[in-house]
Amino acid sequence: MNRLDATRQLVAAIGHDPGTPIIASLGHPAYDLFAAGDRPANFYTWGSMGLASSIGLGLALARPALRVFVVDGDGSLLMNLGSLATMGWTRPENLVLIVWDNEGYGTTGGQETATAHGADLEAAARAMGLSALTVRVEKEFGAAIARARTTPGPWVIVAKVRESGPDTKPPLDCVFIKQRFMAAIGTPEGATRGASIG
Amino acid sequence: MNSADTASPQWAAGVCAGVHAAGSRHVVYVPDNPLSHVLRILADRYPDIQTTLATREEEAFGIAAGLYLGGVRPTVMLQSSGLGNALNALTSLLLPYQIPVLILISLRGDAGEWNAAQVPMGRAARAICDAIGVTHTTAESPETTAETVHLVGRTAFGTRMPGVCLLPRRLTVPLATEVTK
Repeated sequence: MNRLDATRQLVAAIGHDPGTPIIASLGHPAYDLFAAGDRPANFYTWGSMGLASSIGLGLALARPALRVFVVDGDGSLLMNLGSLATMGWTRPENLVLIVWDNEGYGTTGGQETATAHGADLEAAARAMGLSALTVRVEKEFGAAIARARTTPGPWVIVAKVRESGPDTKPPLDCVFIKQRFMAAIGTPEGATRGASIG
Repeated sequence: MNSADTASPQWAAGVCAGVHAAGSRHVVYVPDNPLSHVLRILADRYPDIQTTLATREEEAFGIAAGLYLGGVRPTVMLQSSGLGNALNALTSLLLPYQIPVLILISLRGDAGEWNAAQVPMGRAARAICDAIGVTHTTAESPETTAETVHLVGRTAFGTRMPGVCLLPRRLTVPLATEVTK
């Protein structure tokens, strides 16, 4: 499966609920999420490579009643493997980390990552005490999403994907992305609610 | 309580009071020695403040950003050596998205330092904050630390920008030097 098709599958499975957040790692995972279906509860990062899983973890801790989805990349997660340890310690049941593993840095020209040479992100997640699985075809991915939606996590789904070569980009205005997102998930920012005096 | 109470020094109690007064209820941290006092007081006296240990300062800011998106006012505590580890999170996440975080930096490398490896980053901490456009305020005394932390937090959350409160060595590891002449 390619990453855009898999992202479309994810959005089709969970996107109908306007309050379900999806945090996207910078570059191609964010571009594909936008192409698959722009929605206010999509949080597109434009920088901070490696931190999508951390943002998802913080959100999951703040909002235990929300099921929080993260679309990360193999190169990005390799930059912040400590995040798996913190997820394993804090164990928010409502966090679902999807790692698009194309075994390369897709956004920067396709240089190979360590997962092309034996690094196993599912095993790394398991070693940190997380429930993890690797999927390679749409049917497996669909079953993994269904399971992650309905059973306690945290879940790590490593999805082996082909590069999709996106040709669209999400909104560039970071504050717009944030305020739209926060309103969609039910924590509107002060600026959008009117301020109190004093 | 007084500053001679080594188990809970006044500056550390002030940090906790300031964090609480600023409305922050979640502290994400990478520990250092002086901050252990803050962590102990939080655990003993502030059951409504959650703490989460991050493996690295950059990760701490990512977790803090997620907490803020979920409606929580986050605090991040770190040592000045970790500021270097966190710069990309500050400049490409917190600043462009205007995500406020109360940042408490235990300063190394300033007066009182004994470890040469701590000096360059400690000396550069203020200049780095200035260079990336993050305001910083230094807690000057045990008596004023609560107010300073509170004010830095109020400005951060009110203006929706990260704000730093520096905790210098002379505050966190003071010497009892007597003037005898």
